[in-house]
Formats: sequence, structure tokens, C-alpha cells
Amino acid sequence: MQHLIAAVLVAAAYFALAAVSYAVAYSPADAWTVWLASGVVVGPLLAASRARWPGVLAGGFAGAAAFSLFLGSPPLHALGYGAIELIASAAAALVVAKVVALPLTLHRPRELVALVLGGAAASALTGAALATAWHVADGGTEAGATFRVWALSNFLGMLLVAPVIVAWARLTLRRSGGMTMPAFAAGAVACALFLGTMWMLFDAKPGTRFGASAGETLTYVPILFMALVALLWGTRGATLAAFVGALIAVVNTAQQEGPFVGAAGFLGDDEFEVQAYALAIALTGLLIAVLAAAQRDAMRAAREWKTRFEAAIGAHRLLAYEWDPASGRIVVTGDAAGLVGVPAAAIGSLADWLAVVAAADRERVSARFDERVRGRGDADVLTYLVSGAGGAPAAATDEARAIRDHDGTLHRVVGIVRVAPAAAAGGAA
Amino acid sequence: MTEAVAPERAAPPAASASPPADTPDGVFLIHGLGGTQYDLGSMHKRLKNAGFVTHSLTLPGHGTQPEDLAGVAAEDWIEAVVAKYREVRDAHPRLHVMGMCMGALLAAVLVERERHAKGNLVLLAPPVYIDGWATPWYRDLRPLLYAVPGVGRTLKIEEEDPYGIKNEQLRAIVKAKFERGENFHYRWVPLECIRQVDRLRAILMKSAQRIPCPTLVVHAREDELTSLRSANFLVEKIGGGRARMVVLEDSYHMVCVDNDREIVAKNVLEFFGAALPGATSALANEPKMSREALAAAVAATVAKLAGGDFSGLRDVAIPDVAWVQPGANRMSGAHAGKTFSAFASRITQGHRPRFTAFGTPAFNRGIALVPATFVAERDDGRLESQGALLLAFHGGKLLEARWFADEVEREDAFFGAPEPETPGAESLEAQFDVAAAASKALRRAPDNDTLLALYSLYKQASVGDVAGERPGALDMVNRAKFDAWAQRRGMARDAAMTEYVALVAKLKAADGA
Repeated sequence: MQHLIAAVLVAAAYFALAAVSYAVAYSPADAWTVWLASGVVVGPLLAASRARWPGVLAGGFAGAAAFSLFLGSPPLHALGYGAIELIASAAAALVVAKVVALPLTLHRPRELVALVLGGAAASALTGAALATAWHVADGGTEAGATFRVWALSNFLGMLLVAPVIVAWARLTLRRSGGMTMPAFAAGAVACALFLGTMWMLFDAKPGTRFGASAGETLTYVPILFMALVALLWGTRGATLAAFVGALIAVVNTAQQEGPFVGAAGFLGDDEFEVQAYALAIALTGLLIAVLAAAQRDAMRAAREWKTRFEAAIGAHRLLAYEWDPASGRIVVTGDAAGLVGVPAAAIGSLADWLAVVAAADRERVSARFDERVRGRGDADVLTYLVSGAGGAPAAATDEARAIRDHDGTLHRVVGIVRVAPAAAAGGAA
Repeated sequence: MTEAVAPERAAPPAASASPPADTPDGVFLIHGLGGTQYDLGSMHKRLKNAGFVTHSLTLPGHGTQPEDLAGVAAEDWIEAVVAKYREVRDAHPRLHVMGMCMGALLAAVLVERERHAKGNLVLLAPPVYIDGWATPWYRDLRPLLYAVPGVGRTLKIEEEDPYGIKNEQLRAIVKAKFERGENFHYRWVPLECIRQVDRLRAILMKSAQRIPCPTLVVHAREDELTSLRSANFLVEKIGGGRARMVVLEDSYHMVCVDNDREIVAKNVLEFFGAALPGATSALANEPKMSREALAAAVAATVAKLAGGDFSGLRDVAIPDVAWVQPGANRMSGAHAGKTFSAFASRITQGHRPRFTAFGTPAFNRGIALVPATFVAERDDGRLESQGALLLAFHGGKLLEARWFADEVEREDAFFGAPEPETPGAESLEAQFDVAAAASKALRRAPDNDTLLALYSLYKQASVGDVAGERPGALDMVNRAKFDAWAQRRGMARDAAMTEYVALVAKLKAADGA
């Protein structure tokens, strides 16, 4: 039943996006600027487990065949078209699955590379090759054009639609956590600016709003806002904004509006220009969002590591310190407030540390650091008394080690200090 | 868009006969959405330690699995808390109501509907507005989803980082509990439940000004689920005369578990007029007991003191009982909670203390003033000190005892002056503490006989004579420790400390430290 539901949903979405692509085609006869429907099959394949693949692929096949029939193709052609879509989508998913684990999260640059080069390119090229072969076998003579149109429109459509599905597939509603309201509001402003500038640039006849050359130059402006959207909203916002922004560009260009119409740009063709521009927007947003997500994951992992480390040393009543002989700075890690009565942040120098050592032991502890500077005593254990959290004396066992560079110069003194409970019951027995 | 439940306006049933005056006060605690009593941290224990009887309930749909929340309406929760309230209301002279998160909404609705006048109300992080800094960006879209058939029951609203906790160590523990699937809090709740909370919010917004009892609102400034606006709203509606607010600066939503939990506990206990050390002021020490009950409690306390059973006072006192001894001698000071045990041990050791010649007590609310004579004896002297005992009670339990000596100088002379705090001249107790710490830093472990000597001296100095049964023959280690300690029986505390300090010094010297 789940396969059937998935198949129906994918087929319906395929048909709808194919209709949109058809409607915005630059020249419906032979120039499909973007084939959005390709992404609607590959996206779910990359976002779901393999157990769901049969339903998704069946839906893609049915949607492609149905749309082909809608365009007036003979049934055999429609079936063939559906088969090409099925094979191309499966090829893309298999290539991506070879490189990274599925389902995709779009939290790692490696996943983005796999999606672009493995998924989108593999699907576009496979589909283009099969479609061209079919075209030639059927007596067609425009093999080159067929391959180019299919490959480029599928590649672009894949990069606009599949990331949206992958990013939004893992959305869970939460009571709290995730994006904060200020970040959402800032992202909304950036998104409004992105879509607004896109609309202003593309919804005008060439040269009427900004002048012929200025219009082309200003196409860089929305990319700046796209970057902000990606930073603030992450992959979900970036993929959605890129999808809408690219449609604005493609639709208007197809209507002979916007800066690329009639311009002698780098690629020399309106359709190529807008395809490349839409790709630049999509990839910029994706790249920044994925890198930001990877950084957030790294920070989360670092925070978890720190929490684990502090829990471990806290449970053993340990403090860790690192003393820099060059600057005299000491960095203490651990629950210093709970163990020696002074917050770790308040212990910034050796003098601060010596202040928590009992007066009778202070000279001994200080001398030990001096010895390290003079090049003696790389590792030892020293016991002394410190002021405990409540002011009562507590025994400290300080295991220190010197870190020296290649020529023996002291670099750091690092140590682990175990602080015994202050005058706890039981004595030594 | 929220819809309010038509408020029930039936008059609450009249209270039945009052409980005996010496019955302890009660506190009714209500947990939050998807939660359990874990939401309230150690409040149960803290309240019990302060002499309260606590009551709680598991709200409908809770304590099992999240799916069971589907179909539970706000009215079900209200009905459950009203039923529980009516069940326990008459069992106590005073009953306070306290709720956490959604439990706070329920508590507020409860006291308004029941016209609660038997005690106070504490609202912990009440989510009148769901507008905290970490609430998701789509929070205001939820009314649209309420309108979609079937979505309310099937859509899951998950608990996520930061789990309402600012302390990262505690958060890691809670996260691990979630990952292990422990049943202390649901990992998710159906969207329908959020709708029911919205309905509760609407009810409370309309009725907050009718809350009849003194109210304390505790809210964290950085609450990630509901901002301070909620607390401000309630205090404003209830009125400054009846409501006050405590703002926490180092916590998120789960205020009973997070960094400020001690502040929360302290404020709640104070607000309930709880049995706190130093609570002999008329304001804090409500009698909550009849004159007869007070007389009986005084008699029980006097009996203990007449027998010199200072440790036994715990039988008739709250766990955090305080004893205040006057003067400037080695027994002087306020000894509360854990330090009371040490004091009881110290004063009984070698002094044979007791109270005699009790006069007629005078009563004032929960306080009794009892003329008495304090007697202490040791081999080289005897003390007889006349004065008065001031005993403060709460719910039949001794809160605090203060001894007022007519001639405190006589006690100072008998017990001796405390060790001077001059630099370089440590008191025997300070030396003992230093030695105890140093004993743990020895690099070479002493032999078994020395360890037993250390142990026995330490216990004799810190606890006094050994008590209890000798461990069995199979428990060789503890039996040996017991025997070693028993050999010190009758040894004076100072002597034990002195010997302990000397032994540690000897070991340190041998250790080469």
C-alpha cells in the first residue's frame, strides 16, 4: 500500500512539474530550458530508504509515460520515455549511493559533490544518451541537439528540485529547538530581497529598467542575497529560494524579458545564459548551506566532546591545566569553582593558580614551574594542599608534564590535578 | 486561533471537617505536558524534608506512550486535577498547589475554579504565551494544521535540543535518557495536545484575574519555550498584592532541574512558609497545630532532652532541624541539617549533657518557651546552667531549638574557648581537616594496621563512640574496622583528633612528601 501511495504521489508530482516545465519552455518544440520533473523522482530516491525505491520508480515511470501521452506521443513512445526516466533516475540514485550513505542529509560537502556530479550528472547523461539513441533509432537527425537539450534541462531541473525534496524530507515539527525566530526573520528579509531583485531584473524588457549592460552586471546582486538566505535558513530555505528564483529567471527569459534576452553574453545564447545563471544560483545556495550545516555539525560535535570531557574529569574531581611559559597564561579546564572555590575563568595566570595553593606549599609548587623553565624535570607528580570549595583544605595530586619543541625549549606545561574531597569522612582507611 | 472551553461554574463542594491541627501541610504537584514528576526535579524531596506531605498525579494520557495522548482533551486534565485536589484538600490544614509548565496552567485553572483559599499557588514556567527564543519559526502556523482532519492525531511534535536545560552536563544526561527511551518524558506529543494546551492557555487568560490565593510565579529569563511575557501577564492579571515573580538568570525552561534549581527550591519553600532553619520569626513560623498538639510536641522534645538524647531529637524534628547554642565556646553556633548531627555527637561525647528542672512552657503560635537547666558533666567538672529553651514547631515537628543561658560565661568556661583563628596557629579542628585531606595524598599506602588506626581515630573524632551491630565474620574488612573503632570507645574527641593529626604527620614524614 505504501508503494502504491508513493507511486501515485510521485506520478502526480511528476506530471505537475512536467506541465510547469512545458509551460515555461523557451521554445516548446525543441528547447526545454529546465526539466523540473526529473528531480521529483531522484529526490525521493535519495531521501528515502531503498525499501521505498520501487514505488518511487514506478511513479516516475507512470508520470513520464502519462505526460508523454498528454503531449500526443504514441503509447509505445510513451512507454519508452517512461523507461528512460526510470533508468536514468535509478542510475543517479545508485551512483550517489555508491559514494555516500543514503538517505542524504545535505550536511556534508561530500554529499553535495555526490548529488551534483553523481546524481544530477549521471541522470542527465544517462537519460540524454538513451533519448538520443531512441531519437536516432527512430530516424531522427538532430542527435546533438537532442542530447544537449535533454542533458542540460535535466541537469538543471535535478539541481533545482531534488535538493528541495532531500532537504524538506527530514523536517520534523518541534516544540522547541532548531532555527530561532530572529534567524527566521533575518532569513525572510534576505529571501525577500533575493526574490525582489530577481523579479526586478527579469520582469522587464531588455534595457528598459537598468539599461542593456547594467542589467547583466546587476545579475550578481541576487546571488549575494542567495548567500545570505543559505547562511540564515540553511538547506531548506536555500533550496526553496533557489527553486523559486530560478523559475523567475527562466519564465521571464522565455517571455523575452530580463537581462539575458538578446545579450551577447559569455555563452552567446539566451537559453544557455539563463540555464547557467539558474545553475549558479542553485549551486551557490547549496554550497553555502551545506558548508554552514557542516560547520554547525562540527560545532555540535565539539560541544558534545567538551561536555563528555568535562563530565569525565568532573566525576573524577580532576582539573586540567595548560601553562604557557612565554606569556605566563594558564588555562584551567574543569569545575574549578566546585573543587578549589575559584571559577576556571578567573585563573588566568600562574599567580592565580598559586593563590589557590595552601601557603605552606606555594613555594614548592612555584619552584616546580621554574624548574621546567630551566629545562629540568619533564614529568612528575606533586602533592599539595589547595583551598577547597568551602574554604576547607583539600589534597591535590598534580601530575604535570612538560612539552618541549624539537630543540628542547619548553613549549607548555600541562597537568592533571586530582582534588580529594575536603576532609571527607573515613580518613585513609 | 484558539478556542476556550466553557468554564465550569458549578460551586466546588464544601470542605468537610478540618483535619487535626498537628497534621502537616500538603503540597499538590502537577507535572507538565508529556512529562512525569521528573519535571519537578527534587521538589518532592525538598518539600518532604521541610515537613510537607506531597501529592501528585499522572495526568490522563501520560506515563505510558505518546500515542495515548491522542484523544485526551484539556477538560480531561482539568477534571483529573480537580478530582485529586478534592481528594486531598481536606487532609491538611493547608494545601498548596504547584505546577510546572502545562501543569502550571492546570494549577492556575484549578485554584480559580475551586476558589482555593487553603494555601498558596506556585507556577513554574507557565506557558501562557508560546513565544520563547527557541520556539520554531512555524509555531504560529499551527492553528492552520488544527483545521486539517486527522493531522492533529498523527503529526508528531518532538522534543529537541536544548530540552529546556541550559546546563550542558544535565542536558547530556537528559538527551541520553531520551535516546535510551526512558519513560521519564515523552519524546514527542501529538499536535492535538498542543491544541489542548492552547485551549488551556485561552482559559487561563480569561480567568487569571480571578485567582484567589497568594501566587508565586517562577520564570527563567532565557526560557526557550515561553518568554517572561507569560510571567508578567499573570502577575499583572492576578495583581501585585497577591502575586509576585522570581526571575531566574541561569536556566532555561526546566527550572526545577537546571542551574537555578536551588534558587527555585528556596523561594518555593519560603513562599510556603516552610520549615527552614532560622524560621522562628512569627511570619515564617505559622503554627499549623493546635495548642494541645504543640504541648504534646514540646513534651516529646523535652523528654529527649531530659534523657540527653540529642541525636534522638531527629525523631521528633524535621530533617533540617537547627540547634542554636549560645556563647563563645566550642559548642556555640547554629547547627542545622547535617551539621546538627556532628554537633549532637560532639556535645554528648564526654560531657553527659542533659536538660533538667523544666518549668511551665509558655506558648506563642508555634513557639514554646521552656525554662530549664542545662547540665553537663565530665570527669574534671560539672556545669549547671539555668536558662530557657525556645522551641519552634511546624506541623508537629521541631524546626529549631535555641538555648538561652542566664549566665553564658559559665558555659564558655566549661566547654572552653574556641580555637583562635590567628594566622599560623590553626585550631585543632582545622589541623584535623588538613590532616584528613593530607591522608589522601600519601604516595605510599600505609599498612593495614595503620589504616585501621587512621580509620578508628577519624571516626572517633568525627562521630564519637561506635554504635550498631558488629559485622559478621564473613565481612572481614568491616568487622576489622568496627573492632578498631570500638577499641577507641570513650576516647575524647580532642584526643582522637590530636592523635590522628600526629599519626598523619608521621606518615607524611615517612612518605618524604
